[in-house]
Amino acid sequence: MRYQLDLTLRQAEGALSRVLGAAERRGFRPLSVDGEAQADGDRWYLRLTVEGERDEANLQHQLEKLYDCLAVEVSPCR
Amino acid sequence: MNGARWLVQALAAEGVQTLFGYPGGAIMPFYDALHGSQLTHVLVRHEQGAAFAANGYARASGRVGVCVATSGPGASNLVTGIADAMLDSVPMVVITGQVATPLMGTDAFQELDVFGMTMPIVKHSFLLRRVEDLPNVVAEAFRIARSGRPGPVLIDLPKDVQIGDASHLPAHEPATVDELPAPKDASLHAALALISQAKKPVVYGGGGIALGDAVAAFRTFVDATQIPTVLTLKGLGALPSGHALNLGMLGMHGSRAANLAVQESDLLIVVGARFDDRATGKLAEFAPNARVVHMDLDACEIGKLRHAEAAVCGDIQRTLTALTLPCAAHLHGRNGAARREWRATCQQRMREFAARYDAPGETVYAPALLKRLSELAPNAVVACDVGQHQMWVAQHWRFATPRQHLTSGALGAMGFGLPAAIGAQIQSPDAQVVCVSGDGSFLMNVQELATLRRYGLPVKIVLLDNQALGMVRQWQELFFDKRYSEVDLSDNPDFGAIAAAFGVQALHVDRAESVEDALQALLAADGPALLHVAIDQAANVWPLVPPNHNNAQMLDPERDAAASNEPTPTEDPRHAIPA
Repeated sequence: MRYQLDLTLRQAEGALSRVLGAAERRGFRPLSVDGEAQADGDRWYLRLTVEGERDEANLQHQLEKLYDCLAVEVSPCR
Repeated sequence: MNGARWLVQALAAEGVQTLFGYPGGAIMPFYDALHGSQLTHVLVRHEQGAAFAANGYARASGRVGVCVATSGPGASNLVTGIADAMLDSVPMVVITGQVATPLMGTDAFQELDVFGMTMPIVKHSFLLRRVEDLPNVVAEAFRIARSGRPGPVLIDLPKDVQIGDASHLPAHEPATVDELPAPKDASLHAALALISQAKKPVVYGGGGIALGDAVAAFRTFVDATQIPTVLTLKGLGALPSGHALNLGMLGMHGSRAANLAVQESDLLIVVGARFDDRATGKLAEFAPNARVVHMDLDACEIGKLRHAEAAVCGDIQRTLTALTLPCAAHLHGRNGAARREWRATCQQRMREFAARYDAPGETVYAPALLKRLSELAPNAVVACDVGQHQMWVAQHWRFATPRQHLTSGALGAMGFGLPAAIGAQIQSPDAQVVCVSGDGSFLMNVQELATLRRYGLPVKIVLLDNQALGMVRQWQELFFDKRYSEVDLSDNPDFGAIAAAFGVQALHVDRAESVEDALQALLAADGPALLHVAIDQAANVWPLVPPNHNNAQMLDPERDAAASNEPTPTEDPRHAIPA
């Protein structure tokens, strides 16, 4: 199954690595990454497409636990 | 005032009294600031010892453990201790020196990306590039370490930040720990409905009980509902060992009464546990007839490995308190008779399958020794290493509270025991602290005998020496056709001489008849002492659930032999694996 993750992250050192690493370690293969930092703010907006057979709700919970992850929405890719 | 001095003052303001560490180049400004400060620094002899000591300190107290190391190898030597804290949810703040920011990314001397290296094994981490960020980072580090499900937080501290001017920074103010979320009413109602319907319920308690400060609430719940209870390795002590409803530890080396109860139950009430594979055995066949009520603070754990018909996410203490009276009201309800019969069955099995300590022969029987030691030192804090002795402690020590038991549960890190015992003894100088180790594990951090001696810590070490890597040997015996590959430690050094060289007195016992005197002498010894115990290499940990088997399929040839009054079978025990 493929899922789209829409994430709001702190613009903090390591935030991107944490998100990608957590997704991979929990069994989801990143397929595409798209995002940008707020020009004068402190947020990253990231859209990540991943593929995996595990429960996506658990991935969402894992990402929500990350200190730098302020919001995450997971939806199946059509 | 520079950044390092500000940090030392901030640590004191956070309530830190003791930190464990080892100095080096990139952390020298911090050590300069420590000199003459109100903080007590415990100098270990290897950074891994610092991480495990801080870990043991935190486990025994529930407070944040703090350790410090320099950049490069100092930082990398901390990694196993950080990982252990992450996997067992231990609150720690880890401070590492780093090369100055202009040198970062240039492959400078002792430059190592510990921030990147530890990313999967920390709850969070900060690379502090500006002295102005110190107040927020330190406050957040301690808040994160303590809040919710605890864990380790790393602060990587470049040298130029340590020496940067911090005189303009405000005095440190500790952040408030996050309040734990309350369970939702609907989830409580769902749990109550399942509990009221159950005829064969079992409570399955784990490490989250102590972490959630819910031991009293847990005991009240069990007593009020009279539901038979099993505990995980990290849950041991949540119910006292002698409690009438405590069936013991479940899982690979769990008690037969506990495992059979779980396998036959129609409802598992899971409290702060996470369906670890060592607890469940073959997951697909774990508690096959049971529905699940899962109470946990961490939403990630609910439904991760086993579907929960009722998921109660939130503060465990409040969850248990809310459920106790309503659940107790069903004690004599429509399933009351069935529950009484179930409880009687479980308790009958406890008696039937109680551990036996009447092993024949003149050699020391480790389970009997450990049981006796726990009777002689009932309030002791026990720090274990990893291996057969760890499982014997779990099976045979009579724990009264969870924080008495310091064990590397999820990571299973050999070398944990001695430094963790040091941390526990520093945290509670008047406590009786015992380290139970094996001859493999002990040599992994043997250098910390010097720390014991330096600080005069009266830790008592019981070193169970079978001249082998016993747990690996047991698996090679059972599952690898007795091909013993690299488990022979018959060239062990003279442990008594080693202890003596460090200034630690040593005792020795190798006969069962001398165990009582040896234990008495160990506990009576002034200061640190080591009891070297020679045990039979062939002694294994039983029961054992073989891999890819369910928890009802336990091997226990010693019991089988005793039951049939025959000698213990020495043939391939795999043949005894139930179909």
